[in-house]
Amino acid sequence: MANEIDFDEIFKKYRSDPYEYIDIRAIHTGLVRCLVAEGAEVAAPAGEWMHLPGTGLYEITRERNSKIVTSQINGAVAGINTGLNGKFVEAGETLMTIRHPLKKKEIVENILQEILFLFPAPEKAKYFFSLDIQSRIEKKGARAITINPGDEIITMSLMKRDTPVYYEGEPGVIYSIYFKPGVSVAQGDPLIGVCGPEKLPLIQKIVTKVKADWDTE
Amino acid sequence: MAGPAIENGQSGELRRFIQDRELPLRRHAHGGMASAVLRYGAFVGSAIQHHPALTRAMDHALAHIIAMEESDRSVASGTTIVADSLSCSRGRFSRQWHAPPGGLWGCLIHVNTLLPASRPLLSLAVGVACCEAIRQEGGANACLRWVNDVLIGGKKVAGFLIQGFSGPRHCEEYDLVGFGINLNNRRFPEELQSSAVSLAEVLGHPVDLPHFQLTFLAKLTWNLGLLYFEEANTLRENGFSGDGGEHMLLRRWKELSDTLGRRVVFGRNIFENPLYEATVTGLQDDGALMLRLSDGSSIVESCGEIRYRGETAEAAQKKRPGAGG
Repeated sequence: MANEIDFDEIFKKYRSDPYEYIDIRAIHTGLVRCLVAEGAEVAAPAGEWMHLPGTGLYEITRERNSKIVTSQINGAVAGINTGLNGKFVEAGETLMTIRHPLKKKEIVENILQEILFLFPAPEKAKYFFSLDIQSRIEKKGARAITINPGDEIITMSLMKRDTPVYYEGEPGVIYSIYFKPGVSVAQGDPLIGVCGPEKLPLIQKIVTKVKADWDTE
Repeated sequence: MAGPAIENGQSGELRRFIQDRELPLRRHAHGGMASAVLRYGAFVGSAIQHHPALTRAMDHALAHIIAMEESDRSVASGTTIVADSLSCSRGRFSRQWHAPPGGLWGCLIHVNTLLPASRPLLSLAVGVACCEAIRQEGGANACLRWVNDVLIGGKKVAGFLIQGFSGPRHCEEYDLVGFGINLNNRRFPEELQSSAVSLAEVLGHPVDLPHFQLTFLAKLTWNLGLLYFEEANTLRENGFSGDGGEHMLLRRWKELSDTLGRRVVFGRNIFENPLYEATVTGLQDDGALMLRLSDGSSIVESCGEIRYRGETAEAAQKKRPGAGG
């Protein structure tokens, strides 16, 4: 975790290539058929409840059970492994890459993720703040909430089975929230980013600098 | 206060009850597989603690787990804690649950040995077990509302609260299955009078509580056993055992539920934050609810709760093809 930031270096990196590259892998073994072409624009899920699926990327069939895997992010298809089209692939095989254009907010978050302590999702589920933390967030905002190891901060919910999630990590304030209530989070993805009080000035500096120096939204 | 009466192992009254009542019933419906399913579920009621009064059965279960782990002993999966009354019981989101003498209140400790694909179905299994038990006791109109509320005539007769918990010492995974079934408790606080009902009110006579407890535990033995039985079948690559290769528990849930085809309001906390209205179109293999929104698009929900809107259960039942039970 960095305490010093070379802004020039970071900005150079993001200015020369303001994209994130996401590998799209086979979700399980099966026969694959690509549904998009190289360079095609793809859309992320949309709608008030994120219920309108993103662009179909590939169809995978196993034991006569076909499913279409859709894009979870907007961008363009930057590379397709065409040799795998129509072939039987193993789970996890990279089928294509999506080039996602980063927004200013995402760039800030990417930089912050190098500084914040990221608390990961223990399993794929939907997550909600515990009632106590939620009411404190509503009153004061997340960045006014200090959490310590052992605090019950989040509830993991799946089919009416609620599991309290206890915080493990360095004490600090909840600086970033990476989950939305009701939206599934994959195992290992960060739920929150926590920042010790001593790092707050550095974080403020990053946010101010990116906002001032970055032109596009 | 007198200490709890403790029965160890599914060896006493419950085992005889299953042998004499549940097994013949299931054998009649399912043939040779019935014994195997009941064997898989035989952990239910492996130890039964009965208390005259507790504050909360879930808290007692948690304390039991912690005490057992601290003394380097294993918690028997299926341990069931029952109390005649609970003084501080609650439902989800700190909702109050009224638990005076006359109902069946308690908590079953399930040590999780299910695969991730089966674990979400645990919530459905406890609802199915309770609905079957109530129907067998004479509550023929009992039905399930997703996920596992048991209703009679639109009023709640039973509810469940499942809490996941990792043991502090060995990180063993537990599911604490809290249950509350309104049997002979006929009086409800004013705020619950329009939404809750007891089985005795419906039947017009008191329910034999110890007998109902045996029936409920026998139904749990079957339905939790089904989760393990079907899991073993898929591991042997035999597929599920229900008609058309469907998981038997899902099949049974659909038979007992009046949720499919209904117009519902969905929300994570339906009372404080209802989110949207939709029509239920089906149930996914993992028990998640499939809904169709007003604009024709679809959405799948695996956590949250619903309340019915508009049409009556009977009308929805008539509309729904293949509705049974």
